[in-house]
Amino acid sequence: MSGKEFFVNRYEQLGWEFQEPSPRQAIRINISNAKGKNLEQRLASRGVELETITFLKHGYWVLRSKVSVGATQEYLLGMYSIQEAAAQIPATLFTDPKGKLVLDACAAPGGKTVQLADLMANTGAIVALDVEKRRLAALSNHLERCRIGNTIVYNFDAKQTSGLGLKFDRILLDVPCSGNFVSDEKWFTRRTIKDVERNAKLQREILTETVKCLRERGEIIYSTCSLEPEENELNMDWATKNLNLRIEKMDFIGQEGLTNVFGQQLDDSVKLSRRLWPNETQGFFICKLTKRRNTV
Amino acid sequence: MIKPVTDFAGRLNAKIILNSQFVVEKEGRYYLLKSELRSIARNGFFYAGLFLGKVKKHKFFPSFVLLKMLAETEANRIIVDDKAAWLFICGRDIFGKRITALHGSRRKGDYTLILNSFGECLGFGRIIGDIDAKTEVVVKNVSDVGDFLRREK
Repeated sequence: MSGKEFFVNRYEQLGWEFQEPSPRQAIRINISNAKGKNLEQRLASRGVELETITFLKHGYWVLRSKVSVGATQEYLLGMYSIQEAAAQIPATLFTDPKGKLVLDACAAPGGKTVQLADLMANTGAIVALDVEKRRLAALSNHLERCRIGNTIVYNFDAKQTSGLGLKFDRILLDVPCSGNFVSDEKWFTRRTIKDVERNAKLQREILTETVKCLRERGEIIYSTCSLEPEENELNMDWATKNLNLRIEKMDFIGQEGLTNVFGQQLDDSVKLSRRLWPNETQGFFICKLTKRRNTV
Repeated sequence: MIKPVTDFAGRLNAKIILNSQFVVEKEGRYYLLKSELRSIARNGFFYAGLFLGKVKKHKFFPSFVLLKMLAETEANRIIVDDKAAWLFICGRDIFGKRITALHGSRRKGDYTLILNSFGECLGFGRIIGDIDAKTEVVVKNVSDVGDFLRREK
């Protein structure tokens, strides 16, 4: 069970008509470093033409550029990051993260970690984990370039988070996933339904472990760049029924989460999650969860 | 604990005040941890707080975070024009005619920070010639922020 026809047929059953995506390059301003620097004007003088992304506070589409936006002085000085537009959404959904203890459980290469630190104005603390040591160099470079001072990085498996002995106010779970065809042109030939199922299982394991380290009434933002409901709505339905988590309403673009997946009826609250089918952005799924009070 | 950092600052004629309680050395790498991180830091971290630099083969290599901190002191510095700023982050040296301002030492062999026209620190170099010699390389590039790109390759 693989191949383009198989997956496209699934998407049609879920209500989306396949279309070739037209993703656009996006950047995100690091306010802590760019404040008062007239960044837009400086980039314009280098031939970088930007357009505000209407659904993001600090995001811009790169319309055209005479230079590589990954090699300007402003980039190297940490004033902005290159970050896909949909990927800029999850970190913005936490309620008041300033001064909090935040876990970024699957952090490398660090785009969302840096964004979180910026949203926290470098207050509080972020514990950033990644199980793959080779990816930590990119994460560390990103933190150094953007002069992030509130983050500690461990080569650590999110499935063992309780070993840190910490309780977090906020947890970002941008979990390992199957990805989607927008960011990987060979995706349809690489992926099978077995991969999807394996990733969905891993995601549940990470959820189960990290919830143990979430303070009462703490928040989790769960996100994937997968279009497959096993990794998204089905996992959220499972989490509400098994982990004493509640799905919270969010206010941003995208479609409601699916509540009927291939004939399986899910908890109605799953529709509060958001699904972005590929268009200007890559495909993405986001859900905000809180830990119910008086639970184990 | 913080001697390599303060010694390096001294080579730029700068003084830096760091609370040694908040500086952690791990495998030759120096990190400045704020109190919130200090209280939760466990052994075996990979990276923490502000990276100040590393000692390798008895030599200290400053981070760009530290260079920025030093740029906010009275450290030696030269400001270069836009063309030289671009060439510098590509790893090139500085010609005398590209210097628009200088603060601190002009002495051969001394370190100096390199700043762009916005006053932002792009790295540092070593003075190797007469600063007033317009057509010669006068500052040799030691380290520049273009290193972030070179590391990824």
